Amino acid sequence: MNKTDLINAYFEGSLSETDKKKFESLLETDAEFRQAFHFEKELQTALKKEKRKQTKEFLKTLGDKEKTPRSKKLSFVPWLAAASIAILMGFGTWWFYFSSTEVNTDMLYVQYYSPYENVIHPIERSDQITDLQSRAFSAYDMGDYESAVELFEELRTKRNEPYISFYNAIVLMQLDQHEKAIVLLEEYISLNGELKDRAQWYLALSYLKTKRISDAKDQLDELIAQDGFMLKKAKELRRELE
Amino acid sequence: MSEGDVIFQLKKGDRDTLKKIYLEHKREFFKFANRFHLKDMDLEDIYQDAMIALMENAQKGKMDDLGCSIKTYLFSIGKYMAYNHARNKSKTYHTKDDYVFDKHEYETMDSILENESLSFYQKKIVDGLKKMGNKCREILTLFYYSGLTIEEIMSAQGYENKNTVKSQKSRCLKSLKELIKKENE
Repeated sequence: MNKTDLINAYFEGSLSETDKKKFESLLETDAEFRQAFHFEKELQTALKKEKRKQTKEFLKTLGDKEKTPRSKKLSFVPWLAAASIAILMGFGTWWFYFSSTEVNTDMLYVQYYSPYENVIHPIERSDQITDLQSRAFSAYDMGDYESAVELFEELRTKRNEPYISFYNAIVLMQLDQHEKAIVLLEEYISLNGELKDRAQWYLALSYLKTKRISDAKDQLDELIAQDGFMLKKAKELRRELE
Repeated sequence: MSEGDVIFQLKKGDRDTLKKIYLEHKREFFKFANRFHLKDMDLEDIYQDAMIALMENAQKGKMDDLGCSIKTYLFSIGKYMAYNHARNKSKTYHTKDDYVFDKHEYETMDSILENESLSFYQKKIVDGLKKMGNKCREILTLFYYSGLTIEEIMSAQGYENKNTVKSQKSRCLKSLKELIKKENE
């Protein structure tokens, strides 16, 4: 085990007794090791505190009564439930009951789709746009996709940054507006955005949902050729489409 | 949704689920916590902290084999926090209905109660993170915050090789350090 692996194992909680001793002695004797470890520990604490702060701020906005009317249940919700059940049961067994001789694009879509998780919002710039941006992302985080779609579309006209199109597209997919999502994703990919591989994966799924199977296959092939993000799932789905 | 599904969503930090639990039990929690004679404002604060502890404990897998309802667990956390708040720590406050916490659960709750804000350096780290690309924020958060292992990140993101994840993470750490250093200059 090299030094990086030792530190990783510490954070994973998987240090064996022998490794633990090695880890402790390095902490005492090796300044570089100590520094590297302390930085990662600070990063962990910083993330935890930041996340607590964000959660608390979110909870503070919740009153006894809802301030904003609850968005009506999306037709998407039962699909999501089905998708999580599929994840819990394992794809194999679940698929078995539903498989038919024809490719069922809807079923495959449900099986493979889950919304992109927004982790921490990107840095904000001017005040007015900041506000719009944080409202858009918080609607996205809260799963209020109907408000999110309006906010992202407004944001897109004010700030022409590619990642906004990416999130906008995911929201459209959630709302089952795949034609619009496809336009945005294709544009994002052509601009070589940072999340290009993620966008390709979602584009393949939108193609699938609109029964453009050969386009979906092409996207998957490109993704597979890059040998990175979603490689395994892309290969699996590609096989299902044959 | 079954309680198992709710716990699964909590682990993911799903805001809809947080909101649902928060609103569902709020009134009853206030009634239940009446005995501590705290101000409503403080109770609100305690209830929110209890929700944060609930989420963090779920993420640490503490709720995987929960022998009671989510509500009982949440109220036990809230009760511990209310006692602490009222500086009324009596050793015999446990009743047989309370959930028995382990060492790690106490650590989580105590650290939330301390409510330390970000240090100067930690603030710099967060600022640096916000300037990073999505991919770096994603991988660093999954590993250091969500507590996923390299292997879990590999399968969640569909990579076929652990080394890809490891080297990506190393690159991100390096550029985060550089960002912070540049800020300091």
